[in-house]
Amino acid sequence: MSAADKASGAVTSAKSVPSFCYNCVSGPDFLRVKVENGIATEIGPNFDGDRIHPARGRPCVKAYGLVQKTYNPNRILTPMKRTNPKKGMKEDPGFTPISWDEALDTIAEKLKAIRAKGVIDEAGLPRIAASFGHGGTPSNYMGTLPAFLAAWGPVDYSFGSGQGVKCVHSEHLYGEFWHRAFTVSADTPHTRYNISFGANVEVTGGPTAVIRHADARIRGYKRVQVEPSLTITAACSAEWVPIRPKTDPAFMFALIHVLVREHGVEKLDIPFLRDRTASPYLLAPNGLYLRDPDTSKPLLFDEASGRVVAHDTPDVRPAVAGRHKVARAITVDADAARQEFADVEGRTAYQALVDHMERYTPEWASQICDVPADTIRRIANEYLEAASIGETIEIDGVTLPLRPVAVTLGKSVNNGWGAFECCWARTVLAMLVGALENPGGILGTTVRINKPQENRHMSVKPGDDGFMIQYFNPTGPNSWEAQPTTRNLHRTMVPIVGRNGGWSQALGPTQLAWMFQEETPEGWNWPKPTYPELWFVYRSNPAISFWETRRLAEAAAKFPFMVAFAYTVDETNYMADLLLPEATDLESNQLIRMGQTKYMEHFWDHIGVVLRQKAVEPQGEARDFSWIAAELARRSGLIDGYVAQLNRGISGVSPLKGETYDFALDAQSALDPDKVWDAVCKAATVTLSQGKECHGLDWFKEHGFYAIPQSRLGWYLTPTLEKQGLRYELPYQERLLRLGRELGNRLHENEIHWWDEQLTEYVGLPDWHDVPGRWERALVNAGGSLEEFPFWLLATKSMQYHSGGNAAIALMDEVSENLHGATGVIINDKTAEKLGIGENDRVEVRSHIGATYGRAALVKGVRPDTIVIIGQFDHWATPYIKDTERASLNTIAPMSVELTDATGSGADIVRVAIRRADKAAAA
Amino acid sequence: MSAQVNQDKRYVMAIDLRRCVGCQTCTAACKNANATPPGVQWRRVLDIETGEFPDVQRTFMPVGCMHCANPPCMHVCPTTATKLRADGLVTIDYDICIGCANCVMACPYDARSIQHIAKYAYGVPMKSEEARFEPERLGVATKCTFCKDRIDLAAKTGQTPGVDPEVTPACVNSCISDAMHFGDIKDPNSNVSKLLAKTEHFRMHEELGTDPSIYYILDGEEA
Ligand code: SF4
Ligand code: SF4
Ligand code: SF4
Repeated sequence: MSAADKASGAVTSAKSVPSFCYNCVSGPDFLRVKVENGIATEIGPNFDGDRIHPARGRPCVKAYGLVQKTYNPNRILTPMKRTNPKKGMKEDPGFTPISWDEALDTIAEKLKAIRAKGVIDEAGLPRIAASFGHGGTPSNYMGTLPAFLAAWGPVDYSFGSGQGVKCVHSEHLYGEFWHRAFTVSADTPHTRYNISFGANVEVTGGPTAVIRHADARIRGYKRVQVEPSLTITAACSAEWVPIRPKTDPAFMFALIHVLVREHGVEKLDIPFLRDRTASPYLLAPNGLYLRDPDTSKPLLFDEASGRVVAHDTPDVRPAVAGRHKVARAITVDADAARQEFADVEGRTAYQALVDHMERYTPEWASQICDVPADTIRRIANEYLEAASIGETIEIDGVTLPLRPVAVTLGKSVNNGWGAFECCWARTVLAMLVGALENPGGILGTTVRINKPQENRHMSVKPGDDGFMIQYFNPTGPNSWEAQPTTRNLHRTMVPIVGRNGGWSQALGPTQLAWMFQEETPEGWNWPKPTYPELWFVYRSNPAISFWETRRLAEAAAKFPFMVAFAYTVDETNYMADLLLPEATDLESNQLIRMGQTKYMEHFWDHIGVVLRQKAVEPQGEARDFSWIAAELARRSGLIDGYVAQLNRGISGVSPLKGETYDFALDAQSALDPDKVWDAVCKAATVTLSQGKECHGLDWFKEHGFYAIPQSRLGWYLTPTLEKQGLRYELPYQERLLRLGRELGNRLHENEIHWWDEQLTEYVGLPDWHDVPGRWERALVNAGGSLEEFPFWLLATKSMQYHSGGNAAIALMDEVSENLHGATGVIINDKTAEKLGIGENDRVEVRSHIGATYGRAALVKGVRPDTIVIIGQFDHWATPYIKDTERASLNTIAPMSVELTDATGSGADIVRVAIRRADKAAAA
Repeated sequence: MSAQVNQDKRYVMAIDLRRCVGCQTCTAACKNANATPPGVQWRRVLDIETGEFPDVQRTFMPVGCMHCANPPCMHVCPTTATKLRADGLVTIDYDICIGCANCVMACPYDARSIQHIAKYAYGVPMKSEEARFEPERLGVATKCTFCKDRIDLAAKTGQTPGVDPEVTPACVNSCISDAMHFGDIKDPNSNVSKLLAKTEHFRMHEELGTDPSIYYILDGEEA
C-alpha cells in the first residue's frame, strides 16, 4: 500500500490549495499545498498556472521545505519575553512564554512613550528601527505590517542584514540610473550569446530563469561563464573561464577595447549610439560637456550642416566619433562653476571612450585576469558577431532591433570596489551594439529607487541634458543633508541611492550603521549615533548574514529593546526582548502582484495578482501578521493612520477606493485580516480588469491568481526613451563626475575626510585601479601579510538556501548534500594535496579577524588560489543547523570603511589561510 | 537482453541532461509526494565532475530506480517480493519482502534502501510525518515506484501518464527545467517516443544487460 492509498484510508478531508512561494527574490512562484485532515502534507506545482507563470506553475526546491517549516518542532509558538537582562552570545536569554496581550501591550506602551518624546531623537535619528531580510522578500509574508510602519512615521532601515550592501548593490544603483534597472537581466527568451560574470542564474534566478536558460540551451544559445569556480551556472554553460577573483573590470575593459579599437565604430550600432546615447556630446579638455553659453545645453556636431548645435536641435545627424571645433561654449562644473571656452576642440564622448580604452588591450587584461588574451579577444568577437547589428524582430506588430547579446553580472562582481567599473562596462558593451533595452539584449526588471514600482516606463520623464530625470540626494551647498537622518548616512554620503523612502534607506551603506554604533571614524563631526530605542526584526538574521558576524551580534546585543517576529530562536533574536510568533507561509493570507514588477527574470507575458493562502490553521499561538499589525496599531493609538494607509493601498495592489469602486475599510473591519484581504482582492481585480471583474478572497482561495496578458513590448525601455526623444547617459559620466565633486566639496567644507577614497569613484570614464589590491592593502593595513593569508575566499549560493531563511529546514540540508561542496569548504584538489588536506577533512579557514570551520570538498573546478564557501552558515543558536559544523565567509570577512565603495557596498571576498584542523577548536 | 515479461506498455523516463541544473527539486518533490524518511531518496541528482583544471566539466544526473526490464534485484529476490509489471514498473510487495537486502546489493544503480527504525527530520515525529507514517515500510526494501498509484489511477481515469499531471510522477511534474519526461515507449506517438526518436541518448550501465527504463538525452532537437 502506498502513502497515498494508506493516507486515503484515514483521510476524512483532503484538499489541494493554490498558493505562492516568495521565499527568495525570484518569486512569486506558484504552488499547491495538499492538506489532509487539516494537515499540510505535500507541496507540488500549480498547473493551473502553466500558461501564466513562465515556469509553468512550478516552484523550486525551497518551496518543498514548507511542510517541514510549518511543523518544525523548534518553532516559537507563543510570544516570549526575555528574562535574562544581560545580552550577548554567551548569555542565555531565558525566553519565557507570555500572552499575546502582554506582548502587544508591552510594545504599545513603548511606542506610546516614544511618541510622547518624539519619533526623532536628540541625534536627529528615528527612535524606531526595523530590519527585514533579503531583497524585499519579507514584504510578501508580513501582511499589513507596512501599513502600521507607514502610520508610525520615520523608521530607520539602516541596520542591514546583507541586503543593501552584500546584494548586487552597485547594479541596483547604477542600473536604475542608466536604464531604470534595479535588477539587470538578459532578455533570455530572445538572447543568443550571454557573457556571464559570476551571474549564477541557475541558482538564484528561480524556476523562471532555470527554464528559460534551459530552453535557450536547447535552442543553441551560448553562455560563457567567467567566474573563479565551476558553479552550477558555469556547469550549465558552454564555456567556463576561471578568472582571477575581482579582476572582472579588466576583462570587460578589454572586451570594449576590441569592439571600439579593433573593430571600430562602423561595425557598431551607429543609429543607437547617435540617437539614444550621449556618444555625440562634445567634451571640453576639462572633461565636462561643452555647452551652449546661453542655454547651457550640451553641444554636438551635426554632420548634415557641418555645424555645432545643441543636443536637442531637430533634424540633425550627430557625429558619433571625432574631434570638432567649437567657437564658443561653456562648461558647468560642481556647484554650478562655469568656465568659458572659445575656439576649443571638443571630442565626442564616444571618441573619449575610444581614446580612453587604448591601453586596455586583451594582452594587458590577460596579465591581470589570468585568462589568455586570445580567449578574451575571441569572446569579444563572438559577442559582436552574435549581436547581428541590423537585424530586427516583430513584436505585436512593432518592429524593433534584435540584438541578442547580453553581459550579466553576479554578486561580488556587481557590488563592492570594482563594481562601478563592471556595471559601467557591461552597460557600455550593450550600448555599443544597441543591445541596451532592446530585444535579445539586457533589460531592467523593475525599479525600486524610482516610482512607480509597478511600471518602470512611467518613471521615465525628461530630465537634464536630454536624459531621464533622476532623483539624487542633493549635493548642493544649501540642499545637502549636512546632518544624517539615518544611521547609515544614505542621504548624506550616497547621492545616487536617492530618497525614495524605505528602499533608498535600505540600500544605503548599512555596514556603516553597524560599525558606527561601536566606533565612529576620525573626523566624525556629527552627534554620536544613538541606538534605536525599539528595533523590529523580521525574516532577517544579520548576525549570520552580514560580515564580521560575531562582532555584529555583540553590537546588536547593545540595542535597548528588540522585538523579533520569530520563527525559531536564531543568532540575532538571541538578543531580543520579545519574540512574536507569526503565522508562516502556509498559515495566512496575502495578495501580491505578479509579473513584470519583480526582480530577476520576472518579466512575464502576464501581469496580475496571486494569493498566498492560509492552507492550514497556524500552529500554536502563532498569529496572522495582519492581525498583529492591526493590534499594534490599535493598542498604540495609530488605528486611524493604519486604516488610512490600508485604504491608500499600501499593503495591497491598488487603493481600496477608486472612482468607480469603494471597498474602503473602517477601523473595525481593518482588525479582521480576512476582511482586509477580501477588500484588497476586490480592489485589485476591479483595477486590473478595468471594472469588468471583481473577485473577493473566496474566489482567490479557489483560483489562486488573477492575470491579464501583457505585451512583451513592455519589457524594453528603449522605445519609451525614443518616444520622449531621450538619451541614455552613456558612455561618459559627466553628471556623476560633477556629483562626486560636489559631495567632496560638502564633506571637505565640513572637514570630513574619511570618505575621500570613495570620492575617487566619481569619474567620467573609469580606469583600472587594482581592485583585488584593495583587499590586499586592507589586509596589510590591518597588520597581516599576503604570505600569511595566501588564498582568496569567496562565497557563492545554493538554490536550496539562497535567501530562503530556511537554515532550520532539515529537508534542505538533506537534499543540498547531493551537491558536492554544498555544505563544505571548496578547494582545488591539487592545492589540497599540497596542503595535506583530504576530502571531508575538517579544515580551518582563517582570516586576519578570525577563523571558521567546516569540511573540505576537493574539486577540480576551482582556481588553485581560491577557496569557496557556499551559503551563509556558522549558526550557533538556530536549532537543527547549529548542530552541524559549517564554515561561513561572513564570520571572517571584515566590515570596514576602507572596503566600502562609493555606493556604500562591499563584496564577499577576503584573504585567508587554510589548514587541516583535526580536533574541534575554539573559534 | 530482452524483457522478461511480455509488455504491452512500458513506462520510461527520458531526462535531458542539457536541461538539468542539479537543483534537487525533483529529489525534494519525491520526498514530499512519497513521504520518504530522512536519508532515503528514491530520486536524487548526482553531481559529476570530469577533466582537469581548467578544462573541467560538471554534469548533473538524476538517478533512481531504473525500472529495468531485466532487473537484477528481481532475480536475486528469494521471496518474489520484487516483481516486474506488464507496464514496465518494478514493484516491491512490502507484505512479502523480508528485508534480506539481496536486492540492495544486486542493484547496479544504488536505487534501493532499507530502514529498520522510524526516522524523523527533527528526531520527534511532526504532525505531517505522523499523518503519513507507514509502518509496513520498515524493515523492507524501498525504492522509486514510478509513482505507481498515479499510473494506476490513469488506468481508471483514462488519463495519460506523462501528459496529465495527476497521473504523472511527482518528480517529473516538479522539474523546473523541464528536463524530465515520462511516458509509454511502446506507443510510438507518446511524448517520450517522439522525443527519443529525435534525440541522441543513452542509458546507464546498459552493458550490464539490465535494459533500464531511464534514457538520458545528450543532444538533438526536442519533439
Ligand atoms: S524560493 Fe524563490 S525561486 Fe524558489 S519557489 Fe520560492 S520564490 Fe520561487
Ligand atoms: S517516479 Fe515517483 S517515486 Fe520515483 S523518483 Fe519520481 S517521484 Fe519518486
Ligand atoms: S528538478 Fe529537474 S533540473 Fe532540477 S535536479 Fe531534478 S531533473 Fe534536474
